[in-house]
Amino acid sequence: MTIQQAAAGLRERRVSAAELTEAALDRARRLTELNAFITVLEDRARKQARQRDEELARGQDRGPLHGIPVALKDVFCTKGIRTTCGSRIFADYVPDRDAAVVERLEAAGAVLIGKTNMHELAFGITSSNPHFGAVRNPWDLQRIPGGSSGGSGAAVAAGMVFMAMGSDTGGSIRIPAAFCGTVGLKPTFGRVSRYGVMPLDFTLDHMGPLTRCVRDAAITLWAIAGHDPRDDTSSRRPVEPYVPPREVSLAGVRIGLPENFYFERVDPEAAAAVHRMARLAESLGAHIVPVRVPDIAAMNTVGRIIVQAEAAALMERYANRREDFGADVRALLDQGRLLPATDYINAQRLRRLMRNQFRGVFGAADCLLTPTTPSAAPRIGQSTVEFDGAEEDVRLASTRLVRAVNVLGLPALSLPCGFDRQGLPLGLQIIGRPFEEAFLFRVAAALEDATDFHDRKPAL
Amino acid sequence: MSGGVKCRDWKRIAEGLQLGIPEADLDRITAVLDALEAAFRPLAASLPFEVEPAVIFSCETEGIP
Repeated sequence: MTIQQAAAGLRERRVSAAELTEAALDRARRLTELNAFITVLEDRARKQARQRDEELARGQDRGPLHGIPVALKDVFCTKGIRTTCGSRIFADYVPDRDAAVVERLEAAGAVLIGKTNMHELAFGITSSNPHFGAVRNPWDLQRIPGGSSGGSGAAVAAGMVFMAMGSDTGGSIRIPAAFCGTVGLKPTFGRVSRYGVMPLDFTLDHMGPLTRCVRDAAITLWAIAGHDPRDDTSSRRPVEPYVPPREVSLAGVRIGLPENFYFERVDPEAAAAVHRMARLAESLGAHIVPVRVPDIAAMNTVGRIIVQAEAAALMERYANRREDFGADVRALLDQGRLLPATDYINAQRLRRLMRNQFRGVFGAADCLLTPTTPSAAPRIGQSTVEFDGAEEDVRLASTRLVRAVNVLGLPALSLPCGFDRQGLPLGLQIIGRPFEEAFLFRVAAALEDATDFHDRKPAL
Repeated sequence: MSGGVKCRDWKRIAEGLQLGIPEADLDRITAVLDALEAAFRPLAASLPFEVEPAVIFSCETEGIP
């Protein structure tokens, strides 16, 4: 069931918010082996659902998220509810305020089921959390769900919630979306307020939803987007109607298919799945345009310098608590502490140049299609993956096709585009111009409507 | 040397800055830092002089008249 279907059922009195919430809680309880949640809010969720039903009964309708069970990655501050950031450092932190996204979801009538497990401090892609346990991929329990928003990906893919919020500094929404077979949107930098979200980084963090289908992501963005004076980087651009119509045309749309970088060192099955989707888009009226992209590897390097330096600066006050960090996060923070300030400043200068260079790509194409990740989900504990006979670190490989988009601040959406021979989901990344989320949703919805990948469910 | 770029002595930097990073932990990250620096320094060297960093600061948004 999608958010639109559940919303219709609620208004036609075929189902209640209380029933949807009970079903979500029941599924979360039965699938504890996924370890998707750090905190489940049973009593609070039931109370909230009852209130939502009462509101609807007296004609108070907050919109399409009214009465819909959702979850939040445990980086979103929730007033009076523990917010751990997946870390021992913050294991007992109880905020005295809600994040802007939480306020907006509350205003939109969503029912909060719980706070999802994640990679420690959102600084990694496995979600094998040393303090709260490894999140498992619903399609294969021996595999990672991706990260850092791994619990959000697992909770949506397993049908526990309709939507779970994630954060994305170098791919942390899109990677779990691809590995878990969900939709994941990283909006344009500034589109969704960062206020009240525990930061990994000041200039690369983005907030966005993971959902079962494209229109559910669009419904969520409509609810959470908009200017927030408490976030200096928040955009004043008006929020658009994002939800694509029932019938979507791709006539006249120019879709860029990169000739360089994005299909190098990629599993042939992942590359083939994206090329099939490009042909599908062509059959729906789009023009496929071969494009050459600027130096994405350089953008990835710049992104790594920035995130390591900013994360190290953020966590410096806890540097004397080395044993409270997992080994991989501790190593990344140490690297950030060693980088000279000149590297950080020059990385931010390069970022400005790269943004200008990339604008040229959108002269030839309205959006780009790429694989989200070079392969399907690796196994839990696997440290390297092999492409073209060469081994590559799992974290660097998984972020290789997504990190540059954070450096550029562009919107990008991961859409299920097939399965590999082992039955694991594969993701397609659609990258757009700044603030053109509505266009991304239109392209993604056209492809989703013409395929059934989003309808397939893991056997749990 | 890594990729033609002379590497920094990360251990001496850590020691000089009194970062308190144990030797074994430094051993695990120096090769990664060398590779990152080898990729980064040619990029930084190519920067035109007038390019400013893409960081956010505005007096206006801080309410300063």
